[in-house]
Amino acid sequence: MKTLPITEVRSLLTAVAEHGKQHLAEVESDLQQTTYLLSKAIEKLGASFIAVHTAVTNQQKIVVALMKRHPFSTDESKQLDMYNKVIAEEVDAAVTGLQFQDITSQLLIRAIKRVNGLKDLLQELDIHGDQIDTEREHKEIVKILEAMSQSLLSGSHALSGGLRRSVEQQNMASGEIELF
Amino acid sequence: MAKTILAVDDSGSLRQMVAFSLKAAGYDVVQAVDGQDGLDKAKEKTVDLVLTDQNMPIMDGLTLIKNLRGLGSYQKVPILMLTTESSDEMKAKGKAAGANGWLVKPFDPKRLIEVVQKVIG
Repeated sequence: MKTLPITEVRSLLTAVAEHGKQHLAEVESDLQQTTYLLSKAIEKLGASFIAVHTAVTNQQKIVVALMKRHPFSTDESKQLDMYNKVIAEEVDAAVTGLQFQDITSQLLIRAIKRVNGLKDLLQELDIHGDQIDTEREHKEIVKILEAMSQSLLSGSHALSGGLRRSVEQQNMASGEIELF
Repeated sequence: MAKTILAVDDSGSLRQMVAFSLKAAGYDVVQAVDGQDGLDKAKEKTVDLVLTDQNMPIMDGLTLIKNLRGLGSYQKVPILMLTTESSDEMKAKGKAAGANGWLVKPFDPKRLIEVVQKVIG
């Protein structure tokens, strides 16, 4: 082919930009909604956890007071100690688990920023595409296409550079501790 | 008299869990929502320990530490970082800024209390 299919190239660029932005807007909306729902969920979980813990602590105090007035059998005392230990361990595990929202929200915010950056890159594709028209010389169009590639490349690098990964956690096991 | 710990984190749920764990161990807890808020509260009353996140809006943890170390009353107060960040590079920056220790999230309450007790008793 000796001439570039200008109209088709322009249509392709416009379609990539439009459809891409449309789908990315949906992704962003889903991520925002997930962030909001996680935030509301953790509020309820945190409040319920503390209320349950307070109730159990008060209940334990009553049991201890009862034990003083009506001594339990050795077996009952052992069982009570075992349950107290189980409760303490599960409370610790719950406190560790309930930190999921702080960690996942950082990942979600990073994903939202990347989606917005991608939308900007697609917008540039659309703007550059408008410069391509059938009146231009072949060489000029080649230059515009090269400039577009360069712009996408540098935009993509800038986007990656501005989104440093701050969360490396792959599970909810407690993290390491180092004293200096 | 109970010792006071300043807990700085932009996440409400994380502050809630830190405060819950420290209060259960007998400490008083002052909460701040970012580095600037932490700095303001630290100036109001000198605390016994500062526990701060790194990535926060307005002022991050490292900047907070540098500011606190610039105050006469905070030159020797222990400061611990509690953050998702775990790279050696970030830890080195923390140490250089004046942090006394680094805890990677999520924290285990029992281990957090052990560290706090080791640092301030």
